[in-house]
Amino acid sequence: MRSLMQQPFRTAVLVLVWGWLLFLVLAPNLLVVGASVMTRDPASFISLPVTLDAYRQLLNPLYLDVFLHSLYMAAMTTLVCLLIGYPFAWSLSKVAKRHQVLLIFLLIVPFWTNSLVRTYALKLILATNGLLNNALLSMGLIDEPMQLLYTEGAVVIGLVYLLLPFMILPLYSVFDDLREDYLRASHDLGAGRFSTFIHVIVPLTLPGVLAGIMLVLLPAMGLFFVPDILGGSRNLLVGNVIKNQFLDARNWPFGAAASIMLTLAMAFLMFAHRLSKRRIGEEGV
Amino acid sequence: MKKLALAGLLAVGLTGCSGSEEPRVLNLYNWSEYMPQEVLDRFTEETGIQVVYTTYDSNEAMYARLKLLDESAAYDLAVPSTYYVSKMRQEDLLMPIDRSKIEGFDNLDPELINLDIDPDNQYSMPYLWGTTGIAVDTTDVEGEVTAWADLWDERFEGRVMLTNDMREVFHIGLRVLGYSGNSTNPEEIREAYEKLTELMPSVRTFNSDAPRMPYLEGETDVGMIWNGEAVMGREAMPALDYVYPDEGIIVWLDSFVIPKNAKNPEAAHQFISFVMKPEISALISEDIGYATPSVAARDLLDDDVAADRASYPTPDDMVNAEFQTDIGDEALQVYAKYWEMLKSGQ
Repeated sequence: MRSLMQQPFRTAVLVLVWGWLLFLVLAPNLLVVGASVMTRDPASFISLPVTLDAYRQLLNPLYLDVFLHSLYMAAMTTLVCLLIGYPFAWSLSKVAKRHQVLLIFLLIVPFWTNSLVRTYALKLILATNGLLNNALLSMGLIDEPMQLLYTEGAVVIGLVYLLLPFMILPLYSVFDDLREDYLRASHDLGAGRFSTFIHVIVPLTLPGVLAGIMLVLLPAMGLFFVPDILGGSRNLLVGNVIKNQFLDARNWPFGAAASIMLTLAMAFLMFAHRLSKRRIGEEGV
Repeated sequence: MKKLALAGLLAVGLTGCSGSEEPRVLNLYNWSEYMPQEVLDRFTEETGIQVVYTTYDSNEAMYARLKLLDESAAYDLAVPSTYYVSKMRQEDLLMPIDRSKIEGFDNLDPELINLDIDPDNQYSMPYLWGTTGIAVDTTDVEGEVTAWADLWDERFEGRVMLTNDMREVFHIGLRVLGYSGNSTNPEEIREAYEKLTELMPSVRTFNSDAPRMPYLEGETDVGMIWNGEAVMGREAMPALDYVYPDEGIIVWLDSFVIPKNAKNPEAAHQFISFVMKPEISALISEDIGYATPSVAARDLLDDDVAADRASYPTPDDMVNAEFQTDIGDEALQVYAKYWEMLKSGQ
């Protein structure tokens, strides 16, 4: 009787989930794959015949350079996020439970403002005549305004600002699960603070670290508006190349091919993540 | 109970949408900061038509959006530059403008109508014209800047701004080498590209969103700017000079066009007519610093605006000036290839 009652609900959920996946995930991605193997057409964006030209174009050393530079900036972003996020998440898990909720809430509040708007706000802070330089100048800490805007550093700052919560949240969840008795056991067995950290805490939080890295590294390569606003003439991300191909150069097949390469890179990292997770699991802590 | 209330709300929402009244909305797709809010307000006041103002910062972006959204008819009016008018006209993206619904066509400067881009102005109505020249922050720059070639000077390393506009940037590369800014010769374009790569270390940023801002923010001292932006920038920073370079200024004309599938072409015609009223044209020119093509409006301008060399160049300023023309898709491809290489830093 009960299962009968549940049936319509179950069906509805299944239809919703599968419908969502089919129409909003599978179909658009198939369109992108389709576009990537077509020929560029100045009048209608894409046309037959089917060709792999777009992928051949990806081999151009120009784009390899862009990709490597993009990867470098994304890696810097991830590193900085990790360096800030790890101690942050750790201390967050130490705070009294009822305060944790509030702090996590505060962490999420900036998401209510459009990230584009927040990036423009950063521009006001980093500009030569901006808030930061003016404050430092008036405090006498610097004699001349620093050139922060339109540099690689500005792009990394912008990316860190936007992506830091994505590092903190998975880290927080592993720290939250970290049981005090393991730490006490380690201490009782004679391990110092440092070796407890290296041999107990780090391995136990590694899944969170890996999840955080994935959630930061890959989006960081695609957030094209950050270099657009903060990066000046250089410092392109893969996302900028894709956007330029679609909007400015109108080379859809190539833009689609580049976006598929990025997706594949993401899939590869997720695969590696799963493998490493399984290994950690097998070692059995 | 809650569900019922929700359904009720939905029903109200649906009937609200299905009202038979004609949409009183004009979707205007225009360059950023290219139309004073006052003009939009006055238009709404006079006609009751709401204006939804959406912006772009390059002809390429505007074209791609219009082309992509062709079927859904998202925009009723757009403002492409010269060479995009002919491109869009040839690709059958535009709706003919009904001259009987446009007042004030006779007020237009004869030199700015019936151009090659659109003979007889069947598809386009001139909105504003302007120039792209050199901006100099005279507090930070010592000595004279008189030519495009001066931007290559070592003293400006890391202090130069260029517009984020493929044609304009290549225009200066070509002019410095003594070629036409409308060159379709691949060899000349390649040479211009190579010349421009020498400029790249000096370039701090590209901006076509609000090209005055990097100068006002103190990020750049010298580089390209549109004359209207120079006029607007000068209000906040009097030391910002607008220079007509020796190799010749870049001249362009932006025109209203109605996309073929526009939902509300009636309102689009009304808006064009409204803007072409001499007092409105004059107001726009005074407010955003570009030159109006309406001769009747020029008579109404404040004296200091009419005498402002940045907005209204003297015949001397226009020596060597070159009007941007349609160069065809083939040449555009060549430009696009080098433009990308230039911006990716190769």
